[in-house]
Amino acid sequence: MIQVENLHKSFGKVNALKGVSFTAPNGQITGLLGPNGAGKTTCLRILYTLLHPDQGWTKIDGLNPLKDTLEVQRHIGALPDSHGLYPRLTTRENIRYYGQLHGLRGEELEKRIDRLIQLLDMQDIELRRTDGFSSGQRVKVAIARALVHQPQNVLLDEPTNGLDVMSTRSMRTFIRGLRDEGKCILLSSHIMQEISALCDNIVILNRGEVVASGTPEDILSSTGKLNLEDAFVAAIGSEEGLER
Amino acid sequence: MKASLQRISIVYKKEVLDNLRDRRSLISALISTIIGPALLLVMIVIVGKTLLRDQTENKLKLHVVGAENAPTLMLFLKQNNVEILPAPDDPETAIRNGDLNIVLVIPEDYGVNFENGRPATVQVIEDSSRQSAFADIQRTTDLLENYTKIIGSLRLMARGISPTVTEALAVETVDVSTPQTQVLVFLNMMPYFIIMVVFVGGMYVIIDATAGERERGSLEPLLINPVARWEFVMGKVLASIPFAILSVFVTLSAFALAFNAFPLEEYIGYPMSIDLKALVGIFFISLPMIFLASAVQMIISSFTRSFKEAQTYIGFLPLIPALPGIGLAFMPVKARLWTMMIPTFGQQLLINQMMRGESINLLNIVVSTAVTTLAAVALIFVAFRLYQRERLLFGAK
Repeated sequence: MIQVENLHKSFGKVNALKGVSFTAPNGQITGLLGPNGAGKTTCLRILYTLLHPDQGWTKIDGLNPLKDTLEVQRHIGALPDSHGLYPRLTTRENIRYYGQLHGLRGEELEKRIDRLIQLLDMQDIELRRTDGFSSGQRVKVAIARALVHQPQNVLLDEPTNGLDVMSTRSMRTFIRGLRDEGKCILLSSHIMQEISALCDNIVILNRGEVVASGTPEDILSSTGKLNLEDAFVAAIGSEEGLER
Repeated sequence: MKASLQRISIVYKKEVLDNLRDRRSLISALISTIIGPALLLVMIVIVGKTLLRDQTENKLKLHVVGAENAPTLMLFLKQNNVEILPAPDDPETAIRNGDLNIVLVIPEDYGVNFENGRPATVQVIEDSSRQSAFADIQRTTDLLENYTKIIGSLRLMARGISPTVTEALAVETVDVSTPQTQVLVFLNMMPYFIIMVVFVGGMYVIIDATAGERERGSLEPLLINPVARWEFVMGKVLASIPFAILSVFVTLSAFALAFNAFPLEEYIGYPMSIDLKALVGIFFISLPMIFLASAVQMIISSFTRSFKEAQTYIGFLPLIPALPGIGLAFMPVKARLWTMMIPTFGQQLLINQMMRGESINLLNIVVSTAVTTLAAVALIFVAFRLYQRERLLFGAK
């Protein structure tokens, strides 16, 4: 479970987050929706311990990232904004490196890698160096290495960005599969359709503030609109993020 | 602690494997290690050929005006491997233009003066500002002086006087420079090449593991793993060290090969070698500098955004310790205790002493090694702090 309470963060004069609060429960997909620059990535970076909040706090499975940094990192698997691979290592080696950093060893680790390769349908690229992979292949490897330690909480920053239709579909299926295992999933996107297709809960961010949150039904009723698209526009006050 | 060591070793192993697969940086590292010894060898061979080789084995071509006036002198010169040639009409212009190195003029009254025991004038036309003529001028004047001495001695003996009365002083020169120390003038540059390699050897690994990670976008996901920042720093610094050590080893081996296996004697006229024991000593003296170089490079790359940027800054790095090294080639500084307190400078002096086969103060080695190692440790701690910063993610402005 992920809890975020009154998060503030500024970079110089830019206030990226101005008091963001929400909760992402286990067994559900929570979507952070908002236009570019709304503060989604900053919020996620605070959650995966790379940035420290100026004010407010976050908790992951009840743990404080500022105090128990390593423990929090063991409870999360993240696909961050930039998810570069090591081009001189093979797919398997890229995943194995992260598994080892999580303290996994030997047969146990190899079995988990096998399972992820099967699950993400990567048999054809398993032993290839990742240099020259397509963006779909890259995202798959990045997700696999982020989940090799089977974290309870999964944070995905724009997971389907730059993927073609087929890859997007299989990514969505994969994410739903994780939810069905009871994991807590928090994903961000600036595309409304993406969020509405996947998420059980939606948190709409705009200019560093939560402008609406809840189930899709909650958001419809709170904005008084008939469909999510209109609700999104009403919430952020512009049509940004609707075009696909 | 055990878990920390394990994580450090995982990071270390990954970086070593990753960089071993980087053919391009391996090749460039190899070239940079061999360039020093090769350059030095070429310089010594060229200089040895032009300056140091014994000139008397060649026939000296001497252009003479009025050779017919002094047949005995000409005979003496011919016996001493000189070829007598007629001089051009305007010898002074020929010298000034550099067409000839030296012209000897024997006036018509030479014979009369010589027979009467008066100093017989001969003229040497030369351009002393011309370096390339130096050897010919020296040889000619030496021969003329010799001739004067021989004739003078003969004249004294003819008058029943021992020629030694004219020699008030018997000057004996004892030149302590062995052939080795003469060429060592060039070898003074060796510390410079070694420092270069110390700084370049592990450079690519450090840049790839820091600024390279940032540029590839692999830094952000890496830092989310449950590994303390200092563990990352240690793993990455340590990964650069075998590469740097290997580079220094290759360089020293190349030096050994260049001076011990290459037939230098043919080019500089005498045998020359580097003591293998000295090279082993130099290797160990270089080790603390490797730690220092890696630590400094780690700090610099924490600020840089891209591989190129890091390469630019870090590329300048070896110039800083190399400056005193270059100075050392011209203006020797004695190895004193205070010089050992300056990291890299102390080592350069020690390397120099080892090359010359001088006896080395053990305290100097201990002090320079200790100070440099401490400096490296202090810088590693600075790096720990820098890698804690949030800004690390973006590369600082």
